[in-house]
Amino acid sequence: MKRYYILLILLTSFACNKQLEEYNPSGLTTDQVFSTPEGFETLVNAVYTYNRWWYGKEEGYSISEMGTDLWTSGTGDKYPDITQYINLQASNTVMSGLWKQLYAAINLCNTGIGRIDKAGYTDAVRKTRNAELRFMRAFYYWHIVEMWGGVHFTVDETTGVQTTANRTSVDTFYAQIFRDLDVAINDLPLTTTDYGRATKPVAQAFLARMCLTRGLNARAAVLADSVINNYGYSLQAKYADLWNMSNLQNKEVVWAVNYMKNLVFDDRVDATLYPNGHSRGANNGHLMFIMKYDDLPGMQRDVANGRPFNRYMPSLFLLNLFNEKADARYAATFKQVWYCNNLKTAPAGMKLGDTAIVVTKYAVSNADTAGKKYRTYDRNMVYATGGGGKDRTHYISLQKFDDPTRASVNEEESARDAFIIRLAEMYLIAAEAQFNLGNSAKAAEYINVLRKRAAIAGHEAEMVVTSADISLDFILDERARELAGEQLRWFDLKRTGKLEERIKKYSPDPAAYFQSYHNLRPIPQDQIDAVTNKAEFTQNPGYQ
Amino acid sequence: MFCWLLLCTVSWTFAQSHVVKGKITDATTGEPLVMVSVQLKGTTTGTQTDASGNFSINVPNPQGVLTFTYLGYEALSRNIEGNTSLSIVMTKDNKQLDEVVVIGYGEVKKRDLTGSVVSVKGAELRKVPTTNVMESVQGKLPGVDITKSSGASGAKINVTVRGNRSIRADNGPLYIVDGVQYQNIQDINPNDIQSMEVLKDASSTAIYGSRGANGVIIITTRKGATGKPKVSLNSYLGSNEVAGYPAMMTGPQYVALKREAYHTTGRWNSEADDALIFNAAEVNAIQNNLWTNYADLLIHNGLQQDYQVGVTGGSDKTKVYFSLDYFDEKGILKLDRTRRYSARLNIDQTISNTLKAGMQSQVTYYDQNARRDPLNQANKIVPLNGPYDADGNFVLFPNNGSAINPLADEQPNIYQNNARVTRTFINAYVELTPLKGLSLRSNLGVTLDNARQGIFAAKNSIDRSTASTSRSQYNTGAQRYLSWENVANYSHQFGQHTIGITGVASLLSDQRDSSFLQGEGQLLPSQLYYALANSVSGIAVRTNYLSSKLISFTGRVNYNYKGKYLLSLTGRSDGSSKLAPGNKWAFFPSAAAAWRISDESFMHGQKVFSDLKLRASYGIAGNDAVSPYSTASYLSKIPFSYDDTNAALAYGIGSQIGNRGLKWELSATTDVGLDFSVLNGRVGATVDYYDTRTKDLLLQRTLPSSSGVTTVIQNIGKTRNRGIEIGLNTTNISTSKLTWTSNITFSKNKEEIVALADAKTNDVANGWFIGYPVKVYYDYQKLGIWQTDEATEAAKFGYKPGDIKVRDLNGDGALNTQDRMVLGRQVPTWSGGFNNDIRFANFDLNIYVFARIGQYIYSEYAAKFDPQGLENSAPLDYWTPDHATNAYPRPNASVSKDGTPFIKTLGYQDGSFVKIRNISLGYTLPAGALKTVHLSNVRVYVTGKNLITFSKVKDYDPERGGDLSNPLTKMYVAGLNVEF
Repeated sequence: MKRYYILLILLTSFACNKQLEEYNPSGLTTDQVFSTPEGFETLVNAVYTYNRWWYGKEEGYSISEMGTDLWTSGTGDKYPDITQYINLQASNTVMSGLWKQLYAAINLCNTGIGRIDKAGYTDAVRKTRNAELRFMRAFYYWHIVEMWGGVHFTVDETTGVQTTANRTSVDTFYAQIFRDLDVAINDLPLTTTDYGRATKPVAQAFLARMCLTRGLNARAAVLADSVINNYGYSLQAKYADLWNMSNLQNKEVVWAVNYMKNLVFDDRVDATLYPNGHSRGANNGHLMFIMKYDDLPGMQRDVANGRPFNRYMPSLFLLNLFNEKADARYAATFKQVWYCNNLKTAPAGMKLGDTAIVVTKYAVSNADTAGKKYRTYDRNMVYATGGGGKDRTHYISLQKFDDPTRASVNEEESARDAFIIRLAEMYLIAAEAQFNLGNSAKAAEYINVLRKRAAIAGHEAEMVVTSADISLDFILDERARELAGEQLRWFDLKRTGKLEERIKKYSPDPAAYFQSYHNLRPIPQDQIDAVTNKAEFTQNPGYQ
Repeated sequence: MFCWLLLCTVSWTFAQSHVVKGKITDATTGEPLVMVSVQLKGTTTGTQTDASGNFSINVPNPQGVLTFTYLGYEALSRNIEGNTSLSIVMTKDNKQLDEVVVIGYGEVKKRDLTGSVVSVKGAELRKVPTTNVMESVQGKLPGVDITKSSGASGAKINVTVRGNRSIRADNGPLYIVDGVQYQNIQDINPNDIQSMEVLKDASSTAIYGSRGANGVIIITTRKGATGKPKVSLNSYLGSNEVAGYPAMMTGPQYVALKREAYHTTGRWNSEADDALIFNAAEVNAIQNNLWTNYADLLIHNGLQQDYQVGVTGGSDKTKVYFSLDYFDEKGILKLDRTRRYSARLNIDQTISNTLKAGMQSQVTYYDQNARRDPLNQANKIVPLNGPYDADGNFVLFPNNGSAINPLADEQPNIYQNNARVTRTFINAYVELTPLKGLSLRSNLGVTLDNARQGIFAAKNSIDRSTASTSRSQYNTGAQRYLSWENVANYSHQFGQHTIGITGVASLLSDQRDSSFLQGEGQLLPSQLYYALANSVSGIAVRTNYLSSKLISFTGRVNYNYKGKYLLSLTGRSDGSSKLAPGNKWAFFPSAAAAWRISDESFMHGQKVFSDLKLRASYGIAGNDAVSPYSTASYLSKIPFSYDDTNAALAYGIGSQIGNRGLKWELSATTDVGLDFSVLNGRVGATVDYYDTRTKDLLLQRTLPSSSGVTTVIQNIGKTRNRGIEIGLNTTNISTSKLTWTSNITFSKNKEEIVALADAKTNDVANGWFIGYPVKVYYDYQKLGIWQTDEATEAAKFGYKPGDIKVRDLNGDGALNTQDRMVLGRQVPTWSGGFNNDIRFANFDLNIYVFARIGQYIYSEYAAKFDPQGLENSAPLDYWTPDHATNAYPRPNASVSKDGTPFIKTLGYQDGSFVKIRNISLGYTLPAGALKTVHLSNVRVYVTGKNLITFSKVKDYDPERGGDLSNPLTKMYVAGLNVEF
């Protein structure tokens, strides 16, 4: 009897344990998905999505463009701590947000690289996908190491609960970046039909940037030349054409984040589509740089003029870098006139389409504005005597990212692709490498290509520079004129060791607070709080 | 005339002359009873016994009837029958102690309870008309913290029993309705409830194992009765109005702030500069003093009504109760309305001497319209405009501004959010009693839940004001909750020993699936969410499945000797599907003992205690309250494509990593309690002290994000909750005409985290601090505002006069994250209730006062300060160079709200409150008058709910917790109870 009883208990508990096994048909696991070629494709696709957290986003603009010589805070700046270094602390949410996404991307790359041999690919596809993953790992690690220095580094998939982090030297990061890029350049195809995927020239262009960063000038120059000459890229005839919404995929673009017109493929948070998505999604550059025009006489908010978030204003230094009479890039880059689109608030006599607002980088006398119906904001109204921001609500506005094709005035998502590498940068890399190698004349040649393209018809001669004009500062000035707003400035100043010097010299707002430890970003507080090896994994110097 | 009066007086005097004397003694002890009320039936003539138990009363007629009433004793009537001397013996009334209390899988007499159980009868619940029965017991159950979550129609009630134990898990109690778990307590109509029991200590809840860790609330619905059918009608109708809503700045106040903000930057110096900082329409509004208080336009009076009819009836073998109910609540915002329809049918059938079967069933249908909160919009929009133009047309963007009109969603065809929920709850049982003392019962409970929610937001709605097109959503959910339990009960008495044994085997299974559909840009708004096929963009679908199971085996032994020494032992083994293989099963033992001291012979001589019982229990309860599938790592889908037509599937690694070692969270509770009554039962009290230590908490732990994942559910840490609960019942006045009873409850709970990942390290990332409760506010401590004469000191920290001044906690001369501290707790230090029932003749009056003291709230209003004047602010006392204050910082047009240092510190406030929760006056029609119309009971009443709140927070009911959306309401209700 007793024996049967025990048997019964055993049978019952076996049946019970069967009952208690979890069944989750809605969920997918790494092992299920990443073990077939079709499944592995989803991993590689996903690896590309993480650059959407940086490029074309407010967080990305703040961390890579602000806090430099080119910009200062508009009234709506959410992160004046980054723009002006006022009490920049580890609690800054831009730092933790981007840190988290970058390491999630690294972990996905590591997972893929570790598992690709078991994905069932043919050799050819495996090589390509492996090269893509390695390229992307290098790309993401570069953001991490430049921003935060020698922080956590691994090439392995996270498989269990990890409560520690390591401090690895910057050299180790770069050694891996170069190893990965070498594989990428070897194995990537020349072209792709999937716009936005990495190709061999993309990897070469990025490696050129890396070589320049690490002082490998000769190699940087060779690589930049290769991208310029070998793959059919060409500069747009006019600088302004680069920013035309109907010309996004043009021959000057080496690599871009491919934002979609069909917004369901973009990254905005949505309870149904993407619960962990970005709060705005797609390209938000059109929101960030526009001054507050819509409450001024004769104006109302419309799609063409955009939705003014009023976040960033150019430094007076940036505006003064341009000779706008010869350089077409000034007019293409900046908007300084707004035309009446609202008769209800317009001064008497103003008609639709008349000039309603003018902002100018020059001082204007009362006599100049007397009798004018439009409102003028001049240099002295917008900027303080020292050049810092004064009226941070009305200023000359960067218009490269404006998107008049959005479906409505309040639409935050723009389908504008965010350029990550475009051909002009290769000319600037080549110029800087040549200058570093002592070939100023060669450097001037590269720069003149860009300057001639930028010249207003009839002013080509004024734009041409000679080897005597070339200096590191001149190259940085040229980069500002060519690439302002394109999320490279902070890297450029850091690479050249000029971050502190140029902020102090040219941008009084951040200059007031900048300290040399700001060459590294604060490690996010939640990371510091969460690690258990606190003695080993410490905050960057200068931050609390 | 005079003679006639005189005659009367004489006859009166004459009539008084019959005197009855007597002595009253206790039936068991023979001792005289003092202050016993003696009354001549049907008159106001009465007296009381003296110190030796003697009384003397003059009666007009020697044939009358005397009634004797004495608290704690059974009332008695005696015919005088011409006697002049009576010897009266009164027996103790054990009714209260013999009351049957429902416990897990059984019932016991109150006197035999070993655990901490509070019982509330249905009549008590019906006193205050409420939607959710938990609302009616707020503050009446010691140790149970009940708050209303918001003022929206059909809003949820938050219930916590004895503090928060688990950090992550839901701390709500387990609801058992007629023996079966039913988490939708809001469905149950208070009129359908027979009794409600709250089980608090580990020994009482032990039989529920893991599910009982946060306390158990057992609800028994009404049953049919043999005899003449009885019908009851209950109805009320009431008006809701907002219980205080603080106003934002008026137009002139707003203008002053914005001028000051630009004065700070030098752009505004006099009214001549207005045109520089205000647009033309605003300048015009300033000149004409035109401005709008949008909150006033949004908030209206709501309406609540409920109609219920219940019928009990039955024959010898069949007993039936059924009821129908309709409830309708219109919230204080337009488009906010909840309607509930429910029907209940309870049948108990005796099949043979040994076999019984029955079924309790309820169908509930909700039709609920919700409003997207418009008050946030109303509180921030610049007030210098009107919602309508001169011709009375609606203006979508007042003043051509960027802020949408807060009234937008109220316009025709703009917004609808409608949820329809059908919930069927069926609980069937069969019970076999093959031998005396043995019963075998099988219970099958099924809850089927079908919900659909349709949301339409037009292009011109608040929700879509940052997008380009309308959006329609159609979401559905289906839940099947199944509970199958087999219970065996055996009780036996031999000699002075009584033993009861209970065994339970149960299977609980929860299975849900859901779908989410959405699309954008349909042509006609009138199609709402019924034509998703007409969407032109943004089409998205998602479906989801979720299931979990719990299997349990339980045994309990109750033993008592002579009814004086009581012992209860419980063991339960639970297996949960949600935990890791190998850790799915756990065993939870508990023991409880009680000693009825007052039944001891040595107590017979004393007069202080009429009842005295000491209880003690210890037990371990488990908790598996994590989401299913927490043990595995999953991928998460990322929308992606390489072109505009075809999606490219992309899966990233989910941000939560699975934990292959997940196990039970365990709480060990010691409870010592004392039940006593003194002054002949006039004062009864229950006092409990408890100490709960929880370990292996199921925590969502923040991981270093450098690992690529950010969270894991882990068993970490320890918490401790200890406290004291007092429940006091007093009879202040007890005469046949007037009774006044009071009920006082007091609960004090100390909740603290004892350890997290280790015993020393706080988890700042999650806001958990050792030595503090789970929910706290952690931030800089605001000291005031930097004043002009402190400029040098301020500059050392990088600030200037007019900025917020906070404490440099570590005194290192710099202000950074190290200077944050725990500012306040979100849980109360104590709470209490004071309930009074006064009955005078046919009138009944209930006054109920409730206090919740010591908790902090984050006041959205106090933090409503925009230094730029881009949005409206609360009318606050801000600093200017000419107006020194320590309240709010200096307006400054060049610093955004988010960029203002320490702006969050403005919102923390002490949210303690004392409120008059309920005043209710009822009148029961005299029985005689009712007989003629064949009614047995008619009561009419008026009630004021949530009438007055005393707190430090002005114009706002802090029970809401600080949020400005959906403010709480007060209610004026008139109701009717009829029985026949």
